[in-house]
Amino acid sequence: MDKKIYFILLLLLILLPNVLSIGITPARTTVNFESNLEKTISVSIVNSEHKNMDLVIYSQGELAENILLKENKLTMTKNEESKNFEYQISLPDNLSPGLHTAEIIVLQIPETSDEGDAYIGAALAVTTQLYIFVPYPGKYAEAELNIVDAEEGQDVQFVIPIINRGKLDLVNVKANIDIYGQLNEKITSFNTQSIAIESGKRTELVSNWKADVPVGIYRAVVTLIYDESSLRLEKQFNVGSKILELQNIEVNDFNLGEIAKFEMLVENKWSEQVNGAYTRTKVFNDEGEVMADFKSPTYDLPSLEKSVMISYWDTAGVKQNTYDASVYLIYGEKSSQQDFKFEVSENEIRVVGLGYVISEKGSGFSQGRLLTFLVIGVILLILINIGWFFALRKRLKK
Amino acid sequence: MKSKYIKLIDIVLIFGTIIFLASFVSYARPLVISPINNLETTNQSVLFNFERGNIILIDDNLEFSSPQKIYAENNLIINLKPGKYYWKIEGMIGSEIRDLTILSEINLRLKQVGDLYEITNAGNVDLNVGIYENENLVDNLILNVDESQEISGEKFIGEPEGGNF
Repeated sequence: MDKKIYFILLLLLILLPNVLSIGITPARTTVNFESNLEKTISVSIVNSEHKNMDLVIYSQGELAENILLKENKLTMTKNEESKNFEYQISLPDNLSPGLHTAEIIVLQIPETSDEGDAYIGAALAVTTQLYIFVPYPGKYAEAELNIVDAEEGQDVQFVIPIINRGKLDLVNVKANIDIYGQLNEKITSFNTQSIAIESGKRTELVSNWKADVPVGIYRAVVTLIYDESSLRLEKQFNVGSKILELQNIEVNDFNLGEIAKFEMLVENKWSEQVNGAYTRTKVFNDEGEVMADFKSPTYDLPSLEKSVMISYWDTAGVKQNTYDASVYLIYGEKSSQQDFKFEVSENEIRVVGLGYVISEKGSGFSQGRLLTFLVIGVILLILINIGWFFALRKRLKK
Repeated sequence: MKSKYIKLIDIVLIFGTIIFLASFVSYARPLVISPINNLETTNQSVLFNFERGNIILIDDNLEFSSPQKIYAENNLIINLKPGKYYWKIEGMIGSEIRDLTILSEINLRLKQVGDLYEITNAGNVDLNVGIYENENLVDNLILNVDESQEISGEKFIGEPEGGNF
Protein backbone atom coordinates (compact mmCIF):
# COMPACT_ATOMS: atom_id res chain seq x y z
CA MET A 1 0.00 0.00 0.00
CA ASP A 2 2.82 2.38 1.02
CA LYS A 3 4.67 1.59 -2.18
CA LYS A 4 1.56 2.47 -4.15
CA ILE A 5 1.28 5.87 -2.42
CA TYR A 6 4.98 6.59 -3.01
CA PHE A 7 4.58 5.61 -6.66
CA ILE A 8 1.59 7.93 -7.09
CA LEU A 9 3.46 10.78 -5.35
CA LEU A 10 6.49 10.22 -7.56
CA LEU A 11 4.28 10.16 -10.65
CA LEU A 12 2.61 13.40 -9.54
CA LEU A 13 5.98 15.04 -9.03
CA ILE A 14 7.09 13.96 -12.49
CA LEU A 15 3.89 15.22 -14.04
CA LEU A 16 3.93 18.53 -12.14
CA PRO A 17 4.46 21.35 -14.59
CA ASN A 18 7.88 22.84 -13.86
CA VAL A 19 7.69 26.51 -14.57
CA LEU A 20 10.10 29.38 -14.04
CA SER A 21 8.94 32.90 -14.62
CA ILE A 22 10.33 36.37 -14.04
CA GLY A 23 9.35 39.86 -15.11
CA ILE A 24 10.79 43.34 -15.00
CA THR A 25 9.29 46.77 -15.59
CA PRO A 26 9.98 49.16 -17.24
CA ALA A 27 11.66 47.39 -20.13
CA ARG A 28 13.64 50.50 -21.01
CA THR A 29 14.53 53.83 -19.43
CA THR A 30 15.51 56.67 -21.74
CA VAL A 31 17.54 59.63 -20.51
CA ASN A 32 18.77 62.68 -22.40
CA PHE A 33 22.47 63.22 -21.80
CA GLU A 34 23.66 65.91 -19.41
CA SER A 35 27.29 66.32 -18.37
CA ASN A 36 28.06 64.64 -15.02
CA LEU A 37 24.42 63.73 -14.56
CA GLU A 38 23.72 61.62 -11.50
CA LYS A 39 20.34 59.95 -11.39
CA THR A 40 18.70 57.12 -9.50
CA ILE A 41 16.42 54.86 -11.49
CA SER A 42 13.90 52.50 -9.95
CA VAL A 43 12.96 49.17 -11.50
CA SER A 44 10.43 46.60 -10.39
CA ILE A 45 10.94 42.84 -10.54
CA VAL A 46 7.76 40.80 -10.97
CA ASN A 47 7.31 37.38 -9.38
CA SER A 48 4.50 36.23 -11.63
CA GLU A 49 4.69 32.53 -10.63
CA HIS A 50 4.68 33.37 -6.90
CA LYS A 51 7.74 31.29 -6.13
CA ASN A 52 10.71 31.74 -3.83
CA MET A 53 13.44 33.19 -6.02
CA ASP A 54 17.14 33.92 -5.63
CA LEU A 55 18.20 36.64 -8.01
CA VAL A 56 21.52 38.01 -9.17
CA ILE A 57 21.67 41.50 -10.67
CA TYR A 58 24.46 42.75 -12.90
CA SER A 59 25.05 45.34 -15.58
CA GLN A 60 26.66 45.05 -18.99
CA GLY A 61 27.09 47.04 -22.17
CA GLU A 62 28.88 50.22 -23.12
CA LEU A 63 27.82 52.25 -20.08
CA ALA A 64 28.09 49.40 -17.53
CA GLU A 65 30.90 51.21 -15.72
CA ASN A 66 28.68 54.24 -15.22
CA ILE A 67 26.08 52.19 -13.36
CA LEU A 68 26.15 51.57 -9.65
CA LEU A 69 23.82 48.81 -8.54
CA LYS A 70 22.59 49.30 -5.01
CA GLU A 71 22.16 45.53 -4.62
CA ASN A 72 23.77 42.63 -6.46
CA LYS A 73 21.63 39.91 -4.97
CA LEU A 74 17.99 39.78 -4.09
CA THR A 75 15.66 37.20 -2.63
CA MET A 76 11.95 37.13 -3.26
CA THR A 77 9.50 35.00 -1.37
CA LYS A 78 6.44 33.40 -2.92
CA ASN A 79 4.28 36.00 -1.14
CA GLU A 80 5.98 38.91 -2.87
CA GLU A 81 4.23 39.95 -6.05
CA SER A 82 6.96 42.43 -6.98
CA LYS A 83 10.07 44.03 -5.54
CA ASN A 84 11.76 47.33 -6.40
CA PHE A 85 15.46 47.85 -6.78
CA GLU A 86 17.41 50.95 -7.69
CA TYR A 87 20.51 51.70 -9.68
CA GLN A 88 22.40 54.91 -9.99
CA ILE A 89 23.86 56.34 -13.16
CA SER A 90 26.84 58.70 -13.11
CA LEU A 91 27.47 60.08 -16.56
CA PRO A 92 30.85 61.44 -17.65
CA ASP A 93 31.68 64.95 -18.83
CA ASN A 94 31.41 64.01 -22.47
CA LEU A 95 30.03 61.29 -24.67
CA SER A 96 30.03 61.09 -28.44
CA PRO A 97 26.75 62.13 -30.11
CA GLY A 98 24.12 59.46 -30.59
CA LEU A 99 22.77 56.53 -28.63
CA HIS A 100 24.66 54.90 -25.76
CA THR A 101 23.27 51.92 -23.92
CA ALA A 102 23.61 49.63 -20.97
CA GLU A 103 21.65 46.61 -19.78
CA ILE A 104 20.78 45.67 -16.26
CA ILE A 105 20.18 41.95 -16.10
CA VAL A 106 18.23 40.16 -13.40
CA LEU A 107 19.08 36.48 -13.39
CA GLN A 108 16.96 33.91 -11.64
CA ILE A 109 19.31 31.30 -10.25
CA PRO A 110 18.29 27.78 -11.33
CA GLU A 111 16.21 25.85 -8.85
CA THR A 112 17.85 23.10 -6.84
CA SER A 113 16.28 19.83 -5.79
CA ASP A 114 16.88 20.33 -2.03
CA GLU A 115 13.23 19.82 -1.21
CA GLY A 116 12.99 16.76 -3.39
CA ASP A 117 10.70 18.60 -5.81
CA ALA A 118 10.92 18.57 -9.55
CA TYR A 119 13.04 21.46 -10.76
CA ILE A 120 14.23 23.31 -13.83
CA GLY A 121 17.97 23.30 -14.33
CA ALA A 122 18.12 26.26 -16.72
CA ALA A 123 18.64 29.88 -15.74
CA LEU A 124 16.20 32.57 -16.79
CA ALA A 125 17.00 36.26 -16.99
CA VAL A 126 15.32 39.49 -18.01
CA THR A 127 16.90 42.77 -19.03
CA THR A 128 15.94 46.36 -18.47
CA GLN A 129 17.72 48.68 -20.88
CA LEU A 130 19.17 52.11 -20.26
CA TYR A 131 19.24 54.40 -23.29
CA ILE A 132 21.25 57.62 -23.13
CA PHE A 133 20.82 60.00 -26.04
CA VAL A 134 23.59 62.51 -26.61
CA PRO A 135 22.58 65.41 -28.86
CA TYR A 136 24.38 65.86 -32.17
CA PRO A 137 26.16 69.15 -32.77
CA GLY A 138 24.11 71.38 -35.04
CA LYS A 139 20.80 70.24 -36.46
CA TYR A 140 19.82 66.58 -36.46
CA ALA A 141 16.42 64.95 -36.65
CA GLU A 142 15.23 61.35 -36.31
CA ALA A 143 11.84 60.42 -37.64
CA GLU A 144 9.51 57.51 -38.18
CA LEU A 145 6.61 57.04 -40.56
CA ASN A 146 3.31 55.65 -39.32
CA ILE A 147 0.40 55.24 -41.69
CA VAL A 148 -3.19 54.61 -40.65
CA ASP A 149 -4.84 52.65 -43.45
CA ALA A 150 -8.31 53.60 -44.63
CA GLU A 151 -11.19 52.33 -46.67
CA GLU A 152 -11.62 53.46 -50.27
CA GLY A 153 -12.77 57.10 -50.38
CA GLN A 154 -11.75 57.79 -46.78
CA ASP A 155 -8.74 59.59 -45.34
CA VAL A 156 -5.41 57.81 -45.00
CA GLN A 157 -3.52 59.41 -42.14
CA PHE A 158 0.24 59.94 -42.26
CA VAL A 159 1.82 60.52 -38.86
CA ILE A 160 5.51 61.41 -38.73
CA PRO A 161 6.89 61.60 -35.20
CA ILE A 162 10.12 63.60 -35.21
CA ILE A 163 12.68 63.91 -32.44
CA ASN A 164 15.14 66.77 -32.57
CA ARG A 165 18.37 65.00 -31.57
CA GLY A 166 20.52 68.04 -32.37
CA LYS A 167 21.78 70.74 -30.06
CA LEU A 168 20.07 73.46 -32.08
CA ASP A 169 16.37 74.13 -32.45
CA LEU A 170 14.80 73.21 -35.78
CA VAL A 171 12.99 76.21 -37.22
CA ASN A 172 11.33 74.87 -40.32
CA VAL A 173 10.36 71.19 -40.44
CA LYS A 174 7.99 69.91 -43.10
CA ALA A 175 7.48 66.80 -45.19
CA ASN A 176 6.74 66.07 -48.81
CA ILE A 177 4.71 62.92 -49.31
CA ASP A 178 4.67 61.05 -52.64
CA ILE A 179 2.18 58.24 -53.16
CA TYR A 180 2.99 55.43 -55.60
CA GLY A 181 0.73 52.68 -56.96
CA GLN A 182 1.47 48.99 -57.44
CA LEU A 183 3.08 49.62 -60.85
CA ASN A 184 5.33 52.24 -59.26
CA GLU A 185 3.42 55.05 -60.94
CA LYS A 186 3.24 58.31 -59.00
CA ILE A 187 -0.35 58.96 -57.99
CA THR A 188 -0.05 62.20 -56.09
CA SER A 189 2.32 64.40 -54.14
CA PHE A 190 1.58 66.84 -51.33
CA ASN A 191 3.24 68.77 -48.51
CA THR A 192 2.52 68.87 -44.81
CA GLN A 193 2.40 72.04 -42.76
CA SER A 194 5.67 73.46 -41.42
CA ILE A 195 6.54 73.34 -37.73
CA ALA A 196 9.42 74.21 -35.38
CA ILE A 197 10.94 71.72 -32.90
CA GLU A 198 13.06 72.64 -29.90
CA SER A 199 16.24 70.70 -29.16
CA GLY A 200 15.51 67.35 -27.47
CA LYS A 201 11.74 67.61 -28.10
CA ARG A 202 9.43 65.26 -29.97
CA THR A 203 6.65 66.53 -32.23
CA GLU A 204 4.45 65.03 -34.92
CA LEU A 205 3.66 66.08 -38.45
CA VAL A 206 0.23 64.86 -39.43
CA SER A 207 -1.37 64.90 -42.86
CA ASN A 208 -4.45 63.29 -44.34
CA TRP A 209 -4.95 62.12 -47.90
CA LYS A 210 -8.36 61.20 -49.31
CA ALA A 211 -7.93 57.77 -50.88
CA ASP A 212 -10.00 58.22 -54.03
CA VAL A 213 -8.21 55.24 -55.54
CA PRO A 214 -9.07 51.55 -56.00
CA VAL A 215 -8.56 49.08 -53.14
CA GLY A 216 -4.97 47.85 -53.08
CA ILE A 217 -1.44 48.27 -51.83
CA TYR A 218 0.28 51.65 -52.14
CA ARG A 219 3.67 53.07 -51.18
CA ALA A 220 4.40 56.38 -49.50
CA VAL A 221 7.79 58.04 -49.90
CA VAL A 222 8.30 60.85 -47.41
CA THR A 223 11.05 63.41 -47.67
CA LEU A 224 11.39 65.16 -44.35
CA ILE A 225 12.97 68.55 -44.82
CA TYR A 226 14.35 70.21 -41.72
CA ASP A 227 16.13 73.54 -42.25
CA GLU A 228 19.02 72.65 -44.62
CA SER A 229 18.89 68.86 -44.26
CA SER A 230 16.53 66.10 -45.30
CA LEU A 231 15.58 62.56 -44.39
CA ARG A 232 13.86 59.89 -46.49
CA LEU A 233 11.23 57.53 -45.12
CA GLU A 234 9.27 54.89 -46.98
CA LYS A 235 6.39 52.58 -46.11
CA GLN A 236 3.67 50.52 -47.74
CA PHE A 237 0.04 50.97 -46.83
CA ASN A 238 -3.33 49.58 -47.82
CA VAL A 239 -6.44 51.24 -49.11
CA GLY A 240 -9.29 49.01 -48.03
CA SER A 241 -7.05 47.65 -45.33
CA LYS A 242 -9.78 46.03 -43.28
CA ILE A 243 -9.20 42.91 -45.30
CA LEU A 244 -11.06 40.52 -43.01
CA GLU A 245 -14.03 41.59 -40.96
CA LEU A 246 -15.54 39.52 -38.17
CA GLN A 247 -19.28 39.92 -38.60
CA ASN A 248 -20.91 37.41 -36.30
CA ILE A 249 -20.17 34.75 -33.70
CA GLU A 250 -22.59 31.91 -33.00
CA VAL A 251 -22.43 29.03 -30.55
CA ASN A 252 -25.16 26.47 -31.19
CA ASP A 253 -26.20 23.30 -29.29
CA PHE A 254 -24.11 24.17 -26.26
CA ASN A 255 -24.07 22.41 -22.90
CA LEU A 256 -21.81 23.68 -20.12
CA GLY A 257 -18.93 21.29 -19.47
CA GLU A 258 -18.86 20.09 -23.06
CA ILE A 259 -17.02 21.35 -26.10
CA ALA A 260 -18.47 24.58 -27.49
CA LYS A 261 -18.37 25.06 -31.26
CA PHE A 262 -17.72 28.70 -32.19
CA GLU A 263 -18.83 29.62 -35.71
CA MET A 264 -17.32 32.93 -36.70
CA LEU A 265 -18.61 34.61 -39.85
CA VAL A 266 -15.78 36.46 -41.55
CA GLU A 267 -15.92 38.56 -44.70
CA ASN A 268 -12.89 38.94 -46.93
CA LYS A 269 -13.16 42.53 -48.19
CA TRP A 270 -9.91 42.32 -50.10
CA SER A 271 -9.73 42.05 -53.87
CA GLU A 272 -7.61 38.90 -53.58
CA GLN A 273 -7.96 35.54 -51.85
CA VAL A 274 -6.50 35.51 -48.32
CA ASN A 275 -4.66 32.29 -47.56
CA GLY A 276 -3.86 30.72 -44.21
CA ALA A 277 -6.17 32.87 -42.10
CA TYR A 278 -7.23 31.65 -38.66
CA THR A 279 -8.93 32.89 -35.50
CA ARG A 280 -7.51 32.83 -32.01
CA THR A 281 -9.76 33.36 -29.01
CA LYS A 282 -8.63 34.19 -25.50
CA VAL A 283 -11.05 34.02 -22.59
CA PHE A 284 -10.14 35.80 -19.36
CA ASN A 285 -11.20 35.07 -15.78
CA ASP A 286 -12.20 37.71 -13.22
CA GLU A 287 -8.54 38.36 -12.40
CA GLY A 288 -7.80 39.10 -16.04
CA GLU A 289 -5.78 35.89 -16.47
CA VAL A 290 -6.10 33.83 -19.65
CA MET A 291 -8.27 30.84 -18.76
CA ALA A 292 -8.70 29.54 -22.32
CA ASP A 293 -6.82 30.08 -25.54
CA PHE A 294 -8.12 28.29 -28.63
CA LYS A 295 -7.50 28.56 -32.36
CA SER A 296 -9.35 27.60 -35.50
CA PRO A 297 -7.72 25.66 -38.33
CA THR A 298 -6.33 27.76 -41.17
CA TYR A 299 -8.69 28.79 -43.98
CA ASP A 300 -8.22 30.13 -47.51
CA LEU A 301 -10.86 32.83 -47.85
CA PRO A 302 -12.02 33.69 -51.39
CA SER A 303 -12.06 37.33 -52.43
CA LEU A 304 -15.13 39.41 -51.46
CA GLU A 305 -16.92 36.40 -49.93
CA LYS A 306 -18.10 35.45 -46.46
CA SER A 307 -16.84 32.28 -44.80
CA VAL A 308 -17.43 30.55 -41.46
CA MET A 309 -14.32 29.85 -39.40
CA ILE A 310 -14.82 27.22 -36.72
CA SER A 311 -13.01 26.83 -33.42
CA TYR A 312 -13.69 24.78 -30.31
CA TRP A 313 -13.60 25.60 -26.59
CA ASP A 314 -13.54 22.79 -24.04
CA THR A 315 -15.71 24.20 -21.22
CA ALA A 316 -14.98 21.40 -18.74
CA GLY A 317 -14.57 23.11 -15.35
CA VAL A 318 -15.92 26.44 -16.62
CA LYS A 319 -18.56 28.05 -14.40
CA GLN A 320 -21.63 30.05 -15.37
CA ASN A 321 -20.39 33.61 -15.52
CA THR A 322 -19.67 36.50 -17.85
CA TYR A 323 -16.11 36.39 -19.16
CA ASP A 324 -14.05 38.95 -21.06
CA ALA A 325 -12.77 37.57 -24.34
CA SER A 326 -10.59 38.74 -27.21
CA VAL A 327 -10.92 37.32 -30.71
CA TYR A 328 -7.98 37.75 -33.06
CA LEU A 329 -8.24 37.36 -36.83
CA ILE A 330 -4.77 36.44 -37.99
CA TYR A 331 -3.74 36.48 -41.63
CA GLY A 332 -0.21 36.78 -42.95
CA GLU A 333 1.63 39.24 -40.76
CA LYS A 334 -1.60 41.02 -39.84
CA SER A 335 -3.79 40.55 -36.85
CA SER A 336 -6.96 42.36 -35.85
CA GLN A 337 -8.48 42.15 -32.40
CA GLN A 338 -12.03 42.55 -31.16
CA ASP A 339 -13.10 42.36 -27.54
CA PHE A 340 -16.29 40.73 -26.35
CA LYS A 341 -18.04 39.40 -23.31
CA PHE A 342 -19.05 35.73 -23.29
CA GLU A 343 -22.14 35.19 -21.14
CA VAL A 344 -21.85 31.51 -20.29
CA SER A 345 -24.96 29.84 -18.91
CA GLU A 346 -26.02 26.18 -18.58
CA ASN A 347 -26.90 25.77 -22.25
CA GLU A 348 -26.03 29.00 -23.98
CA ILE A 349 -23.04 31.18 -24.72
CA ARG A 350 -24.15 34.67 -25.59
CA VAL A 351 -21.56 36.85 -27.30
CA VAL A 352 -21.97 40.47 -26.25
CA GLY A 353 -20.22 43.41 -27.80
CA LEU A 354 -19.70 43.11 -31.53
CA GLY A 355 -18.59 46.72 -31.74
CA TYR A 356 -17.27 46.32 -28.18
CA VAL A 357 -19.24 49.08 -26.48
CA ILE A 358 -20.78 48.09 -23.17
CA SER A 359 -23.57 50.40 -22.21
CA GLU A 360 -24.23 50.55 -18.48
CA LYS A 361 -27.59 52.14 -18.03
CA GLY A 362 -30.44 53.61 -19.98
CA SER A 363 -30.39 57.09 -18.46
CA GLY A 364 -29.05 58.68 -21.63
CA PHE A 365 -32.45 59.93 -22.72
CA SER A 366 -33.21 61.98 -19.58
CA GLN A 367 -29.68 63.35 -19.52
CA GLY A 368 -29.92 64.18 -23.19
CA ARG A 369 -33.29 65.87 -22.64
CA LEU A 370 -31.91 67.95 -19.77
CA LEU A 371 -28.98 69.01 -21.95
CA THR A 372 -31.44 70.02 -24.70
CA PHE A 373 -33.35 72.17 -22.19
CA LEU A 374 -30.08 73.73 -21.05
CA VAL A 375 -29.07 74.52 -24.63
CA ILE A 376 -32.51 76.06 -25.26
CA GLY A 377 -32.00 78.05 -22.03
CA VAL A 378 -28.65 79.37 -23.26
CA ILE A 379 -30.15 80.40 -26.60
CA LEU A 380 -33.09 82.11 -24.83
CA LEU A 381 -30.70 83.96 -22.52
CA ILE A 382 -28.67 85.17 -25.49
CA LEU A 383 -31.86 86.40 -27.20
CA ILE A 384 -33.07 88.10 -24.00
CA ASN A 385 -29.67 89.79 -23.55
CA ILE A 386 -29.60 91.00 -27.15
CA GLY A 387 -33.21 92.16 -26.91
CA TRP A 388 -32.58 94.01 -23.68
CA PHE A 389 -29.23 95.64 -24.35
CA PHE A 390 -29.76 96.52 -28.01
CA ALA A 391 -33.47 97.36 -28.17
CA LEU A 392 -35.59 97.57 -25.02
CA ARG A 393 -33.01 99.30 -22.82
CA LYS A 394 -32.45 102.13 -25.34
CA ARG A 395 -36.19 102.58 -25.84
CA LEU A 396 -36.88 102.75 -22.07
CA LYS A 397 -34.06 105.27 -21.56
CA LYS A 398 -35.69 107.65 -24.03
CA MET B 1 -36.16 106.24 -10.87
CA LYS B 2 -36.40 104.82 -14.40
CA SER B 3 -32.62 104.49 -14.72
CA LYS B 4 -32.52 102.74 -11.31
CA TYR B 5 -34.87 100.04 -12.65
CA ILE B 6 -32.84 99.78 -15.83
CA LYS B 7 -29.64 99.26 -13.84
CA LEU B 8 -31.39 96.64 -11.68
CA ILE B 9 -32.50 94.74 -14.79
CA ASP B 10 -28.92 95.05 -16.16
CA ILE B 11 -27.48 93.52 -13.00
CA VAL B 12 -30.10 90.73 -12.84
CA LEU B 13 -29.52 89.87 -16.50
CA ILE B 14 -25.71 89.92 -16.32
CA PHE B 15 -25.45 87.91 -13.10
CA GLY B 16 -28.28 85.57 -14.08
CA THR B 17 -26.57 84.86 -17.39
CA ILE B 18 -23.21 84.26 -15.72
CA ILE B 19 -24.70 81.88 -13.14
CA PHE B 20 -26.71 80.03 -15.79
CA LEU B 21 -23.72 79.68 -18.12
CA ALA B 22 -21.47 78.51 -15.27
CA SER B 23 -23.96 75.82 -14.25
CA PHE B 24 -24.48 74.88 -17.91
CA VAL B 25 -20.73 74.42 -18.44
CA SER B 26 -20.29 72.40 -15.25
CA TYR B 27 -23.23 70.17 -16.15
CA ALA B 28 -22.46 69.74 -19.84
CA ARG B 29 -18.76 68.97 -19.24
CA PRO B 30 -18.27 65.18 -19.41
CA LEU B 31 -17.80 63.53 -16.03
CA VAL B 32 -14.60 61.49 -16.15
CA ILE B 33 -14.48 58.64 -13.64
CA SER B 34 -11.67 56.30 -14.63
CA PRO B 35 -8.83 55.74 -15.26
CA ILE B 36 -7.51 58.14 -12.64
CA ASN B 37 -5.13 60.88 -13.72
CA ASN B 38 -1.43 59.89 -13.89
CA LEU B 39 -2.27 56.16 -13.76
CA GLU B 40 0.76 53.90 -14.25
CA THR B 41 0.06 50.27 -14.98
CA THR B 42 1.44 47.29 -16.85
CA ASN B 43 -2.09 46.11 -17.68
CA GLN B 44 -2.75 46.96 -21.33
CA SER B 45 -6.54 46.68 -21.01
CA VAL B 46 -7.74 49.97 -19.62
CA LEU B 47 -11.35 50.61 -18.59
CA PHE B 48 -12.59 54.08 -19.57
CA ASN B 49 -15.56 55.08 -17.47
CA PHE B 50 -17.31 58.41 -18.01
CA GLU B 51 -20.66 60.12 -18.40
CA ARG B 52 -22.11 62.88 -20.60
CA GLY B 53 -19.75 62.24 -23.49
CA ASN B 54 -19.56 59.97 -26.50
CA ILE B 55 -16.05 60.20 -27.95
CA ILE B 56 -12.78 59.18 -26.34
CA LEU B 57 -9.74 60.92 -27.78
CA ILE B 58 -6.38 59.30 -27.03
CA ASP B 59 -3.01 60.55 -28.20
CA ASP B 60 0.63 60.40 -27.22
CA ASN B 61 0.94 64.18 -27.13
CA LEU B 62 -0.89 66.96 -25.32
CA GLU B 63 -1.72 68.73 -28.58
CA PHE B 64 -3.79 65.72 -29.71
CA SER B 65 -2.22 66.06 -33.16
CA SER B 66 -3.06 62.51 -34.30
CA PRO B 67 -5.66 61.23 -31.86
CA GLN B 68 -7.26 57.82 -31.85
CA LYS B 69 -10.98 58.61 -31.89
CA ILE B 70 -13.26 56.03 -30.31
CA TYR B 71 -17.03 56.33 -30.16
CA ALA B 72 -18.49 54.97 -26.94
CA GLU B 73 -21.31 55.58 -24.49
CA ASN B 74 -19.81 55.22 -21.05
CA ASN B 75 -17.85 52.06 -20.28
CA LEU B 76 -15.24 50.80 -22.67
CA ILE B 77 -12.13 48.66 -22.35
CA ILE B 78 -9.36 49.70 -24.71
CA ASN B 79 -6.14 47.80 -25.32
CA LEU B 80 -3.14 50.10 -25.46
CA LYS B 81 0.50 49.47 -26.25
CA PRO B 82 3.14 50.49 -23.69
CA GLY B 83 3.68 54.24 -23.68
CA LYS B 84 2.42 57.50 -22.27
CA TYR B 85 -1.01 58.65 -23.37
CA TYR B 86 -3.14 61.74 -22.99
CA TRP B 87 -6.88 61.35 -23.20
CA LYS B 88 -10.08 63.31 -22.92
CA ILE B 89 -13.77 62.85 -23.50
CA GLU B 90 -15.74 64.88 -25.99
CA GLY B 91 -19.41 65.55 -25.50
CA MET B 92 -21.21 68.84 -25.87
CA ILE B 93 -17.95 70.34 -24.61
CA GLY B 94 -14.58 68.73 -23.88
CA SER B 95 -13.57 67.19 -20.58
CA GLU B 96 -10.36 67.77 -18.64
CA ILE B 97 -7.24 66.12 -20.12
CA ARG B 98 -5.83 63.19 -18.18
CA ASP B 99 -2.73 61.10 -18.76
CA LEU B 100 -1.96 57.46 -18.26
CA THR B 101 1.14 55.36 -18.73
CA ILE B 102 1.22 51.73 -19.80
CA LEU B 103 4.56 50.55 -18.46
CA SER B 104 6.53 48.20 -20.62
CA GLU B 105 7.05 44.85 -18.94
CA ILE B 106 9.42 42.08 -19.86
CA ASN B 107 8.20 38.75 -18.63
CA LEU B 108 9.62 35.38 -19.58
CA ARG B 109 8.09 32.06 -18.67
CA LEU B 110 10.01 28.80 -18.97
CA LYS B 111 8.37 25.41 -18.80
CA GLN B 112 10.05 22.03 -19.13
CA VAL B 113 8.60 19.89 -21.92
CA GLY B 114 10.50 16.61 -22.09
CA ASP B 115 14.13 17.37 -22.93
CA LEU B 116 13.25 20.83 -24.20
CA TYR B 117 11.93 24.03 -22.69
CA GLU B 118 8.87 25.95 -23.80
CA ILE B 119 9.66 29.63 -23.53
CA THR B 120 6.82 32.18 -23.57
CA ASN B 121 6.83 35.95 -23.87
CA ALA B 122 4.32 36.77 -21.12
CA GLY B 123 5.09 40.50 -21.07
CA ASN B 124 3.77 43.33 -23.22
CA VAL B 125 6.73 44.05 -25.52
CA ASP B 126 8.35 41.97 -28.25
CA LEU B 127 11.51 40.27 -27.03
CA ASN B 128 14.90 39.25 -28.29
CA VAL B 129 15.85 36.15 -26.31
CA GLY B 130 19.52 35.18 -26.13
CA ILE B 131 20.12 31.44 -25.77
CA TYR B 132 23.29 30.43 -23.92
CA GLU B 133 25.18 27.17 -23.53
CA ASN B 134 28.35 26.92 -21.44
CA GLU B 135 28.05 30.69 -20.91
CA ASN B 136 28.32 31.25 -24.68
CA LEU B 137 25.62 32.89 -26.74
CA VAL B 138 24.61 30.23 -29.27
CA ASP B 139 21.42 31.67 -30.75
CA ASN B 140 18.89 34.48 -30.67
CA LEU B 141 15.15 34.21 -30.85
CA ILE B 142 12.56 36.90 -31.52
CA LEU B 143 9.43 36.29 -29.45
CA ASN B 144 6.36 38.41 -30.06
CA VAL B 145 3.95 39.13 -27.22
CA ASP B 146 2.21 35.91 -26.08
CA GLU B 147 4.32 33.80 -28.46
CA SER B 148 5.84 30.50 -27.30
CA GLN B 149 8.60 28.33 -28.76
CA GLU B 150 10.28 25.09 -27.78
CA ILE B 151 14.04 25.44 -27.39
CA SER B 152 17.05 23.91 -25.69
CA GLY B 153 19.76 25.70 -23.76
CA GLU B 154 21.13 26.42 -20.31
CA LYS B 155 20.40 30.10 -19.91
CA PHE B 156 17.86 32.41 -21.55
CA ILE B 157 18.05 36.21 -21.38
CA GLY B 158 15.17 38.33 -22.66
CA GLU B 159 15.55 41.96 -23.68
CA PRO B 160 13.29 44.41 -25.54
CA GLU B 161 13.39 44.14 -29.31
CA GLY B 162 14.10 47.37 -31.23
CA GLY B 163 12.27 50.69 -31.34
CA ASN B 164 13.56 54.12 -30.36
CA PHE B 165 10.26 56.00 -30.57
